[in-house]
Amino acid sequence: MIHIDRIVAGTIVVTAVKGRLDSSSSPKLEEFLAGAPSEGTILLDFAELTYISSAGLRVVLKATKLVRSAGGTLAVCGLIPQVHEVFDVSGFSSLIPIHPSREAALATMT
Amino acid sequence: MTDTELDLRLPNDLAELDALSSRIEAFMEAAGIPPTPAYRLQLAVDEFFNNAVDYGYPDGRAGEIAIEVRRVGDQLHLVFSDDGDPFDPFAAPAPDLDGALDERRVGGLGVHLVRTLCDSFAYAREKDRNVKRLTFALAG
Repeated sequence: MIHIDRIVAGTIVVTAVKGRLDSSSSPKLEEFLAGAPSEGTILLDFAELTYISSAGLRVVLKATKLVRSAGGTLAVCGLIPQVHEVFDVSGFSSLIPIHPSREAALATMT
Repeated sequence: MTDTELDLRLPNDLAELDALSSRIEAFMEAAGIPPTPAYRLQLAVDEFFNNAVDYGYPDGRAGEIAIEVRRVGDQLHLVFSDDGDPFDPFAAPAPDLDGALDERRVGGLGVHLVRTLCDSFAYAREKDRNVKRLTFALAG
């Protein structure tokens, strides 16, 4: 149910996630992110993420902690309104920078 | 004539989750439900289903989970019931959403999302089943 792509844009590693992040698919993202270098700047591009549940949020939180403990930064971009609402209600919006689009994120993070 | 009712009965098995999500998505489309209330209801079913399967049957017994969705006027009504051990999710403490990243506990996050995103919620233990009734406004 999910498709994950990694694109390196200069010094930023972009991980694009397409589909649904629920309890059945989020272990795949967790595994993918655990295998990625955690230092540096990570952008999760969720423009084609149609759904996230608390199971998906847990994976995003875990990745954020991992990256920050290694001295890196993690941001997300491209949230559809319903996914953005879940980030807001969970309090994640105050923890993780959210950019409107990949272009905007790359311009800010570079 | 658009669909206005959905009734599902499923075994307490997480392998059902993908098919369950697809059935609800198809119903929302057929019933012409706007994306925001459709998403909120989908999330409620997903979180409740996971919690019921993960914690409702600690002895590993087979159980039955029932999901009813109805469009009633300008609202969506959800009745989610299971024959797992008695548990009122709305009586659980809210997660700590204000702590710093390192202190953040995420237990109870799913229920927090659901109760915040619905318009009303209620729990009852009826005939040996946990019954949760939620409503969602269509104009989200």
